Amino acid sequence: VKSYIGQRLGIGLVTLFGMSMVIFVLLRLAPGNIVDILFSTGGYVNPSERLAIERELGLDKPMWAQYLDWLGQLAVGNLGKSYRYDLPASEIIRPLVPVTLELATLSLVVAVLLGVPTGVISAVRQDTRLDYALRVVSLAGLSMPSFWLGMVIILGLVAWFGWIPPVTYVHPTENFPLHVVQFMLPALAVGYRSSALIMRITRSSLLEVLREDYVRTAWAKGQTERIVIWRHALKNAILPVVTVIGIEFAFLIGGLVVTETVFNLPGLARFLVQAILWRDYPIVQNLVMIIAVVVILSNLAVDMLYGVLDPRVRYGS
Amino acid sequence: MRRLRVPVRNVCAGLCAVFALGGLGPALAQTPKPGGSLNIMLREDLPQGFAIHESSTYSTSFPSLPCFSNLVFFDQSKPTESAETIVGELAEKWSWQDNYRSLVFFLRKDVRWHDGKPFTSKDVKFTFDLLREAPDAPAKLRINPRKDWYANVEGVEAAEPYTVVFRMKRPQPSLLMMLASGYTPIYAAHIPPAQYRTSCIGTGPFKLKEWRKGEFVEYVKNPDYFVKGRPYLDGLKYVVIVERGTRTAALQAGQLDAACPGETSRTTMEQLKKAVPQMVFHTVAQDVTDNIIMNVKKPPFDNPQVRLAVSYAIDRRGLIQASHQGGAILGAAMLPRPFGVWGMGEKDLLQLPGYGKPDEMKARARKLLAEAGMTRDKPLRVEMATRAIAIYVDMASFVINELKQVGIEATLKQVETAQWHAMATRGEYQIGANLTGLGTDDPDANFYENYACGSPRNYSQYCSEEVMKLFERQSQELDPKKRLAAVIDIQKRLEQDAARPILAQRLDYFAHWPHVKGLTPHNNVYNFSRFQDVWRDK
Repeated sequence: VKSYIGQRLGIGLVTLFGMSMVIFVLLRLAPGNIVDILFSTGGYVNPSERLAIERELGLDKPMWAQYLDWLGQLAVGNLGKSYRYDLPASEIIRPLVPVTLELATLSLVVAVLLGVPTGVISAVRQDTRLDYALRVVSLAGLSMPSFWLGMVIILGLVAWFGWIPPVTYVHPTENFPLHVVQFMLPALAVGYRSSALIMRITRSSLLEVLREDYVRTAWAKGQTERIVIWRHALKNAILPVVTVIGIEFAFLIGGLVVTETVFNLPGLARFLVQAILWRDYPIVQNLVMIIAVVVILSNLAVDMLYGVLDPRVRYGS
Repeated sequence: MRRLRVPVRNVCAGLCAVFALGGLGPALAQTPKPGGSLNIMLREDLPQGFAIHESSTYSTSFPSLPCFSNLVFFDQSKPTESAETIVGELAEKWSWQDNYRSLVFFLRKDVRWHDGKPFTSKDVKFTFDLLREAPDAPAKLRINPRKDWYANVEGVEAAEPYTVVFRMKRPQPSLLMMLASGYTPIYAAHIPPAQYRTSCIGTGPFKLKEWRKGEFVEYVKNPDYFVKGRPYLDGLKYVVIVERGTRTAALQAGQLDAACPGETSRTTMEQLKKAVPQMVFHTVAQDVTDNIIMNVKKPPFDNPQVRLAVSYAIDRRGLIQASHQGGAILGAAMLPRPFGVWGMGEKDLLQLPGYGKPDEMKARARKLLAEAGMTRDKPLRVEMATRAIAIYVDMASFVINELKQVGIEATLKQVETAQWHAMATRGEYQIGANLTGLGTDDPDANFYENYACGSPRNYSQYCSEEVMKLFERQSQELDPKKRLAAVIDIQKRLEQDAARPILAQRLDYFAHWPHVKGLTPHNNVYNFSRFQDVWRDK
């Protein structure tokens, strides 16, 4: 197992290296840089001032030199300095990470709690009214973008109750119940969409397993429905669901842009978009790398989980 | 019986005072209560921190103003700004001398910076040497968007600790207006200008407590503020909410006490009014115009007739209804009355290209185009550039439709913000739909910035020696009536030359909850929000 993990981490490092080149080049291919934005806020452009700022920020160096500078900084754990805020990037990024991790985790918990049981019910009660109803609900979830649902939640709450969740971040140590309220609504909006996907995968996977001989044998032995479904069938049907959960988590880390914006949560994704608009290269590059690390690690975690869930899966041999 | 004789003048003064109090509303009638804090809306994070001198957006100035003080400032209780509404801040009094060639300021002696150091004339000299890029300036701004405002200042002398003299090349009454703008705070000489990008050491009524990037800016009351008994509030919090729907919902839900300038459109105002009938709205001008820039250095807009045809083709009233839902007014280069003091009256405006009846105007446009050799069979094809922001694109789309009606086939080119000003400054466009905000409602600030030969913000690159002379003449005119007449003539000329046809002057319906007292939005988004007289009645 250790050698497998080592091998995967090695591949992960190569992926990160490739990723660093892609993001570095793509960012610079986008028209304009921070200096253009700074002048935009001044409403004019002065070529000599422009050159001076580019020199100050190191943007006058050749691209390869800028890239090597960045890698060199990364190697010693230095994330550089934000062009926009003139502060160390680590100082800006650090508070954003827990917000996004918390929201993504909560959304996933909501998605699993909604998606797995409804998927099981839908499969077990296949082609009944309940199955149809649950499928409609899940299709609605897939069709509704979470940002739209988020906006509807905000507008509905303010129209009916004259209330919305706090628009400034409430730290859990500051007011825990309010913190929970602040995160539960966006988690519901995002989790509902993800639950729809999980529900459909659970249903189809379970339907396949329910037709297996060993399930028929379990029924023939007079096992209760609870035992047959939850102990025998679901255990074998859950592998594809775990894969989807892993992919969803990875997607949520970088894909919460609009939800974080609508609910005004100071997370990674919302900040990433602002940083891209400002061509704040150090922030964008490092945020993308953080997201890539999370994606790689979550994929590894999912693969490791296979071994736990299915004894036939063995690593390193 | 002896009749009591009361002088007519006194009666008038008394009545005026009564009407004035009534007109200013209940806020003045009530005794301000100290304490409490306010949450105020901010639509984006501070673009350059508190470095007002390096920025030209109210996203910087609006949340930074409570930290700073000016030499002079516009009276915060009067929405319309003019030379008559300027009051002293760091300057106790001032005097024009040497036939308006010298402006002497006598400074307050009881002012301290937020870090405890005393404020002196050295700080004033430092700030203006920085701004005008004096050869012996001890520091340099990274970006200096308003350097041209001080082109006429020859020197700033701080011979005594509390006296400053501005020496000018020629008389320029407008200098005082520019000094009173929210864009002209005094920086501390002992603080490097770059430091204002991350923190704020000012002399204003509030001290910076925390700036959490992308989230909020929080201030606390400055106990050493030089105006005794002010500010009333204990604190201010500017909450950054990027999503417009969420901003409005937060205001409606009471999580915010006041909007930010330029945020409340007519439609938003109507929605809020319906949902929260007690919400208070102020109809003010933004001093921001919708305008058309045409590159006069490149065909086809190097031909004045074609430029004029474009101006004739656009129905200003139609734009106001379609793009602003009525939330804008007609106006030329300067803000019209009652919002401003230099604008043209409706009678004069009607004589200008594009302001009359749409059918007649469009017929004139077609005729001009035909004279320039453009017909239905041989239409003029152009690319209409605009910033890829909804308010720009809405306007550009309307204009494209108007131009089509006179035979100009325009295609829309959306340009990202990062590229917009660079493209406009370099003249890499044919025609563009643009928005222009004025730092102060003053002819010098407007004309020299947007229409003068060689100005980097004269995107059309329109340049007329004759008009430049008119600019100079009005700038030196000391008689306000004569100057107003000259300014109106210049505005007519600029519209007739289609230098930068103005389409509309934007309005704002600034919103706040009724418990916010003493807050008077101005007809200019840049010059209010010191918040020293604002209090909370709750």
